[in-house]
Amino acid sequence: MGAAYETIHFKAEACDGCNDCMSACAQAKTQTDEHLHSRIQIVPSGEGFELAICRQCGDPQCVLTCPAAALSKNAGSGVVDWDRTKCVNCLLCTVGCAYGGIAYDSVSSRVIKCDMCDGAPACVKACTTGALKHVTTARIYNEAGNLEDLFAPGLSGCQGCNTELIMRHALRRIGPDVVVATPPGCIPGMGSVGYNGLTGTKVPVFHPLLTNTASMLAGVRRQYKRSGRDVLAVALAGDGGTADVGFQSLSGAAERGEEMLYICVDNEGYMNTGMQRSGCTPYGAWTSTTPVGERAHGKTQDAKNLPLLMVMHNCAYVATASTAFMEDLYDKLDRAIQAAKTGFAYLHIYSPCTTGWRFASDQNIEVARKAVETNFVLLWEFNPEDGLQFTHPVENARPIDEYLEVLGKYRHLDRDQVAHIERSLAHNLARIRGFVAARGAASAAAGRS
Amino acid sequence: MSAILKPKSKLIVCDGNEAAAWAVSLADVDMVAVYPITPQSSLVEYLAKFIADGRLGAEIVDVEGEHSVLSVLQGACLAGARTYTASCGPGLAFMFEPYLRTPGLRLPLVMTIVTRDTLTPQSVWGGHQDAMSVREVGWVQMYCESVQEVLDTTIMAYRIAEHRDVMLPVNICHDGNYLSFGAARCELPDQGEVRDFLGAKDVNWHVALDPQRPMAVDPLTGGAGGPGPSTFVRYRKGQCSGMQNSLEVISEVHEDWGRRFGRYHAPLIESYRMEGADYAMITIGSMTGAAKDAVDEARARGEKVGLLKVKTYRPFPAQALADALAQVKAAGVVDRSVSFGWNCGPLFQDVIAAMYYAPRRIPAMSFIGGLAGADLTISHFERVIGRIKELARDGHAAETVWLNEKD
Repeated sequence: MGAAYETIHFKAEACDGCNDCMSACAQAKTQTDEHLHSRIQIVPSGEGFELAICRQCGDPQCVLTCPAAALSKNAGSGVVDWDRTKCVNCLLCTVGCAYGGIAYDSVSSRVIKCDMCDGAPACVKACTTGALKHVTTARIYNEAGNLEDLFAPGLSGCQGCNTELIMRHALRRIGPDVVVATPPGCIPGMGSVGYNGLTGTKVPVFHPLLTNTASMLAGVRRQYKRSGRDVLAVALAGDGGTADVGFQSLSGAAERGEEMLYICVDNEGYMNTGMQRSGCTPYGAWTSTTPVGERAHGKTQDAKNLPLLMVMHNCAYVATASTAFMEDLYDKLDRAIQAAKTGFAYLHIYSPCTTGWRFASDQNIEVARKAVETNFVLLWEFNPEDGLQFTHPVENARPIDEYLEVLGKYRHLDRDQVAHIERSLAHNLARIRGFVAARGAASAAAGRS
Repeated sequence: MSAILKPKSKLIVCDGNEAAAWAVSLADVDMVAVYPITPQSSLVEYLAKFIADGRLGAEIVDVEGEHSVLSVLQGACLAGARTYTASCGPGLAFMFEPYLRTPGLRLPLVMTIVTRDTLTPQSVWGGHQDAMSVREVGWVQMYCESVQEVLDTTIMAYRIAEHRDVMLPVNICHDGNYLSFGAARCELPDQGEVRDFLGAKDVNWHVALDPQRPMAVDPLTGGAGGPGPSTFVRYRKGQCSGMQNSLEVISEVHEDWGRRFGRYHAPLIESYRMEGADYAMITIGSMTGAAKDAVDEARARGEKVGLLKVKTYRPFPAQALADALAQVKAAGVVDRSVSFGWNCGPLFQDVIAAMYYAPRRIPAMSFIGGLAGADLTISHFERVIGRIKELARDGHAAETVWLNEKD
């Protein structure tokens, strides 16, 4: 473990062909303005532009084709390194690369390729239009790849379970000095606390009641604080136990500022007990208690906006997250863990349920991504100091149909129901934007005073 | 009760709620979680004040309801805390879900029930219906007669609950209104001596949420065909054993308390003037004072009546009760609550079940009084004594007698 796979992402529609990136690269590598020396090449294509640059591939063809072992994938940085002392100038690599990422430089008579400028690419810095972006999706892998998975393999979740993904990622990041509460639901259902005396969890873990997760954890944390030990209190709870029957204890703990990280894994219903409706089930959704028949067509109310309710408790930290946006999720985990040392931190993670929402088990991340890209799910975070802000704003949302049509639980929707969902999403977006705007106004006012 | 004050003890006048708060202070409790309810409220106010004044070093958690009261304390106990709370009536009903779970987790929580009648009819007054309604859940239950007994029993409860052969939660029940607000002379023992009496806190040696000794607390058990049901049975039997073990532990602890502090309270059943008694009246809680006066007056008239006070109600000291009743010709039980479905008092049911162990059948009758704060006076007990005397003579038990029906 530990290899990085970072790359430079090109947003073609944002590129205006200014070539500043090529100038910056030529300057950085050869101290000239000669674009021919640039490792990045912006190439006109039709009415727009294409990018020719080394992608630092995970499975680089240039490395395979090099007969002299002059090219290698750096296990630490993930960059494809070129060793000038070994290179025999055969140029086979330039043939092997499909991206124009390694090319012959007539001035130096050697091949040249991008070396990522030690992690701070000059081209990206020079780009003013946002067309170039240094993408470090592997940061998580680098930082968390070597962390111990605190759940043993073999949790009995459904195939393709997104919640298992959340559990494993969250606990890796949180580490072993923790007490974990997993109230009844999918999480203990797949064995977090175990069966008949055996458990697959390597940290202290327990079943609270469905109703008292936040208050039991409050007692644990307070006693450790009293005895001078810093033990993080963490809940991994479903949306039913959080939004419905457990809401009183949650609200009380939040109001008292109990120090804990409460992670709500929202799969929009009681999926473990057979897919019944919860307060977080969205309008129109089929569940086993909001079935579809001649007279009924799924849930007739909108979902409770639980994370916003937690904002109203003025928690130390509140955020929404999605497994389709892992960097965002990890950033929020970090901030939530920090906040949980002095106050109540609440993380609401959307968790598409292949079994209960009726979609193929290999489409979890796709569904999660579509939810965000259609603004069905909004990614934001809040703390009392900075207010509420989007972390992944989606300005041009894709049509909601793209999300609804992949889920069996919405298969029955008629036009009026879809229209209702569209209105609800618009209201929700406007409401959250209102909070973001209020934040801007508040900081402007603070600036004036 | 000793008339001579122990050298380091202090004498105060207080009500039962304040006495319980003093006991909690002396027992060096770590965590108190509270939610106010009549007639318990002044008890938690005293605790809050003691903590605010620095007299009690515990942390107080003012939670949003009784359900969270027990939940916070369960969490704290699993992390090593000695804990306390108090509740009653609707509050006890609301905390029932975690209450039900506490004995199975074998957590030595200590909780006072300032007894109150249950809704409905609406009532905020004393009665045992709340405590009696949870009698089969697995908490040890001890009922007090006096303010002093409230204080002494509350401290003793920690040693009983935390005894390694017991490891069960304990309720100390004291009567709403009569003990909660009735002021009396009360001796406060010395804190150091109480500390010696209780010994070191050792609440989570068997089950803990602690990263230094990670374990999964309360995994699923059961399910036909696997090892589940037998695991479940072992837990259940263990819980029953803890309950039965507590009978001896309660007796030992009361005996040791008497030796150290000079006050000997009957641990399970108190026999009052049972020498040569032809018939017996059985009481529970604060009503016993007036009942003893009635027995004294009857004895002065030459009646051969005695009294048995049940202090430890769960586990039920069945053998001790059967032995104490072995020689009588009839018995009457006065309950401050009702067993729906049997048309009698719950203590009466337990007594007649225990009398199965007696060598012969003893006629018995159920009396119900003192509901919703009604006073049980000497004259009520005179009626009871008169009726039991008839029963001893003719053996014809009547239906349950409701003592305050026509007051």
